[in-house]
Amino acid sequence: MSRIGVFICHCGENISRTVDVEQVAQAARQMVGVAYACDYKYMCSDPGQTLLKKAVAEQRLEGIVVAACSPRMHEKTFRNAAQGAGLNPFLCEMANIREHCSWVHDDRAEATAKATDIVRMLVERVRKNKKLIPITVPVTKRALVIGGGIAGIQAALDIADCGHQVVLVEREPSIGGHMAMLSETFPTLDCSQCIMTPRMVDVVNHPNIILHTYSEIESVDGYIGNFSITIKKKARSVDMAKCTGCGVCMEKCPQKKIPNEFDKNLGFRPAIYVPFPQAVPNTPVIDREHCTKFINGKCGVCQKVCGPGAVDYEQQDQLVVEQVGAIVVATGFKLYDIGEKPKGSAIKGYGEFGHGKIPDVIDGLTFERLASASGPTGGKIVRPSDGKEPKQVVFVQCVGSRAREKGISYCSKVCCMYTAKHTMLYKHKVHDGQAYVFFMDARTPGKSYDEFWRRAIEEEEAVYIRGMVSRVYQKGEKVVVMGSDIAVGVQVEIEADLVVLATAIQPRDGADTLAQKLGISYDKYHFYSEAHAKLRPVECATAGIYLAGACQGPKDIPETVAQASAAAAKVMTLFSKDKLEREPIVARVNEKYCVGCFACKKVCAYGAVEEKEIRDRQGNLIRVVAYVNPGVCSGCGTCQATCPSKSVELDGYTDEQVMAMLETL
Amino acid sequence: MPHDFEPKIVAFVCTWCTYAGADLAGTSRMLYPSNVRVVKFPCTGRIDPVFILKAFQKGADGILVSGCHPGDCHYMAGNFHARRRFAVFRKLLEFIGVDLNRLEFSWVSAAEGGKWVEIITQMTEKIRAMGPLTQFTDLADEEQWSGALGNPELKAVYDQV
Amino acid sequence: MNKSSEKTKSTVTIDTSGYEVATQEIRSEAKRLLTEKIVDAVVGYQGGRRGGSAVPVVITDPDQAEKLVFSAACVNNLSIYLTKAKKEIRAKGKLAVVAKGCDLRALAGLMGESQFKREEVVIIGVTCAGVHRAGTQPGQPLTDSTIAKKCRECSVHIPEGSDLIVGKLPPLPNLSPTEKELMEKLDAMTPALRWEFWKEQFTRCIRCLACRQVCPFCYCEQCLCDRGRPQAVDTSPRPSGNMGWHIVRAMHLAGRCAGCAECERVCPMDIPLNLLNRKMAEELKELYHYEAGLKPVEKGPLTSYDEKDDQSFIK
Repeated sequence: MSRIGVFICHCGENISRTVDVEQVAQAARQMVGVAYACDYKYMCSDPGQTLLKKAVAEQRLEGIVVAACSPRMHEKTFRNAAQGAGLNPFLCEMANIREHCSWVHDDRAEATAKATDIVRMLVERVRKNKKLIPITVPVTKRALVIGGGIAGIQAALDIADCGHQVVLVEREPSIGGHMAMLSETFPTLDCSQCIMTPRMVDVVNHPNIILHTYSEIESVDGYIGNFSITIKKKARSVDMAKCTGCGVCMEKCPQKKIPNEFDKNLGFRPAIYVPFPQAVPNTPVIDREHCTKFINGKCGVCQKVCGPGAVDYEQQDQLVVEQVGAIVVATGFKLYDIGEKPKGSAIKGYGEFGHGKIPDVIDGLTFERLASASGPTGGKIVRPSDGKEPKQVVFVQCVGSRAREKGISYCSKVCCMYTAKHTMLYKHKVHDGQAYVFFMDARTPGKSYDEFWRRAIEEEEAVYIRGMVSRVYQKGEKVVVMGSDIAVGVQVEIEADLVVLATAIQPRDGADTLAQKLGISYDKYHFYSEAHAKLRPVECATAGIYLAGACQGPKDIPETVAQASAAAAKVMTLFSKDKLEREPIVARVNEKYCVGCFACKKVCAYGAVEEKEIRDRQGNLIRVVAYVNPGVCSGCGTCQATCPSKSVELDGYTDEQVMAMLETL
Repeated sequence: MPHDFEPKIVAFVCTWCTYAGADLAGTSRMLYPSNVRVVKFPCTGRIDPVFILKAFQKGADGILVSGCHPGDCHYMAGNFHARRRFAVFRKLLEFIGVDLNRLEFSWVSAAEGGKWVEIITQMTEKIRAMGPLTQFTDLADEEQWSGALGNPELKAVYDQV
Repeated sequence: MNKSSEKTKSTVTIDTSGYEVATQEIRSEAKRLLTEKIVDAVVGYQGGRRGGSAVPVVITDPDQAEKLVFSAACVNNLSIYLTKAKKEIRAKGKLAVVAKGCDLRALAGLMGESQFKREEVVIIGVTCAGVHRAGTQPGQPLTDSTIAKKCRECSVHIPEGSDLIVGKLPPLPNLSPTEKELMEKLDAMTPALRWEFWKEQFTRCIRCLACRQVCPFCYCEQCLCDRGRPQAVDTSPRPSGNMGWHIVRAMHLAGRCAGCAECERVCPMDIPLNLLNRKMAEELKELYHYEAGLKPVEKGPLTSYDEKDDQSFIK
């Protein structure tokens, strides 16, 4: 390229005060390949850009260097101007002589010399620049939502309402997640199921939502706009098309004493069951582990009583493949089971609190089931051990959370608020009862949250004790809680009837395996990582995958819903165009020279490098080379620096461009 | 204040952190020596050791490679790969006989304009005191080396090979 | 090269009777593999024209198996016959290859770099007490003064992981680690002095690129150092380009080199090239606990990372 134009900006006086712009222009005219150079007061202004466009036309320029501010400031401006003048925008580069020169040096001669050097480097670079065409990727306008809790439901409904098909995958037999288990929600104390179940019904009735319950993600292939998802539909043993949801099978099932997981094992369910009465879909599933038919073949009652003949013992796991363009991950959380010490984990467990051993030491979700009108006790708060009404209840906050020495250093965020709520629910049901709360700090930021917490103390008479609990043990019928009150500086011992532990929120089991299938990153606790903590909080670094809810970190319901809608908005933005356009700064493989060592594949953080087979006309395999998927490549160039033969090159930052700059030193 | 020798310093930086940090030094109007020439890359992961070699051959007296702090990489892991690559490369150069004071590495975030100024200032002063790097440039001027091994210790090792 | 120092050393002879056993076992195994059509060709060694010498050979006929030998003259690393650079040999079909411990390390490295799959190759491992150093007259016994430098510090006498291990290991004498001693001397020097040392070495380089030709890992179709646009390294055999070539070579082999020292053996100018490879290997062991091994690994030290890697050199 031999006709390059150099445009030197004064930036008012910001540049010209320290840099002799005329001298730089003079020097530029002497540089090899420069056909035209000028200086102007404000290159970015309208007249400045017009001047540039005019010069391109009149001087038949083939490349442009604008010596002005940082490219981070105006590269787009000038590349657009170049495009307006009929040049490929990637033939325009900026020489940063303001932030990197005039603003940081005070000696005019030195600054002018440096500015000239910078211009020379960029001129050499532009001489090696190539036209680049933006990459377009077709977009399949269907979304996958993983997880049918409130986050997944919200995201699915938002996307579906926008007219796009959504595939919603839920691991359990019913959607609803944890929110369906809650009794009432803070800070308004409205019934969780009353607001949740209509949304669940909306999902199943929505013409744009394809629901796969009792299903898991088997594998994920492809990239943004073009994912191919294999879903494993676990054998339900009930034909969903035939089942009317009459419930006769559940009534007649002789196995009735199976602990109900949905009720945190407080109640019982049959072997053929729906997790809870409002389950969506309202189709039972056979728990093959507990079903007599599956254990020894000596039953089959449900099949006999089923009018429509929906029960199918022969049903097998089934694989379905769905094509989608975007993925929302909303796999939610689990509660830290503190009684257990997970194998191979840094998390140490809380044997000293007796959880799992003392029946009247329960966690927050169990308390939710006790307080829930649709729960195993019909909303009556009783002790799991003897069914008596507890008169003194001790709530312990931060169990597992914020305990570095125990392996979890983060705050679980919702416990302060739900514990305050628990004290209220308890007081509303047991008027003569007394609630005590051990807490480290009360964290109540959020609309009407602090008021809610104060109400628990001031109106509902919960006694808050600032301090830690050291031990919980059984003493006769009572459960003794030993702790400290650091405000007063004394040891406290409370003989409680019931102890409720606000245990930490953790990502779901298998969160890491799913992340590996999706190619997204996660932190040491297995919470999924967002692309940027502030500016891209709902996107994964892997393009086309978005996060919603507690799988990314502990969150309450409003925050979860907000994030789910945000993730849906991101998906809809992606779906707003038929083709996705990306900056063409991506790596490209020279297949002629690639020897297929796949060092590039090993260092690629995006999984953009694939193995491509080269075959002759007869179809015989000749060799295997690397192929960079331009839809996935993010343009870091690590592959090129790693490739020994430089058979992969990053467009826009080729070796030729870099070396040309270095030659000017 | 004029100096006898003004070193040529080349900085290979990533666009997201260090380049932005240097921009911040500019917008904050911090002053530093004008000896540095910046070459921008998308990521430190893109920086090939061959570039360092080339810059030395072209007369750089000192080279800085700078990118995002660990965990801040815009591309997730580019700086981690760069860290290994350069940890090994500098050991190679040291073994070949290059004074590692001439090759520096830093993490400078987009918020660390001050750190950028500090690093460039210190490096310029240090290399100014060390004098020019002639090892590579001298080689370019030579057709063949005369091979006069003056040092007896070296001669002994050489003969041993 | 330096005769006076050789004379002063007492002669320690290494028992190579195991090589006779190995030869017989290689022949019968090669014959079996070819007869039973398990492989299409066997890459091994045969006697050279001068008595006692050995050269690589590729046989496809079971009757030729009698040609195969193993002796202290079998210096070549045959793994290069499996890489893409030797396409005509790969094209013969499934191969068996004779490998010493150091060669097996190269084979493992090549498998890690997807150059072939384990099931595509039958490896006949040879228990090896050492091979001749470059310049040894064929037929000489294997002694303290005729053994290759790399063999003095060998840690892979038995190529574990081969499909079949032949030969038997004799009692091994303690040999002084000459390369290690040299390395220590260089390490103790000032950088300036080391520069003089390497400058002198590299200046003699005639850029015949035999080191590249013989290296199992230099299998690129297009070498970076041959490229003209852009030219990373001056291609003429002059000091500046030579320095560039040897630095790039050492860097590209870091974390991959199996330590077979073939580069050094074939260098007509006797440049101690393995010192560079060895230095890199030592640094990688120190920094990332990585050592080239007998089994393929998924990612080498320079294609992987750990968030906690040392960064004491970074400001």
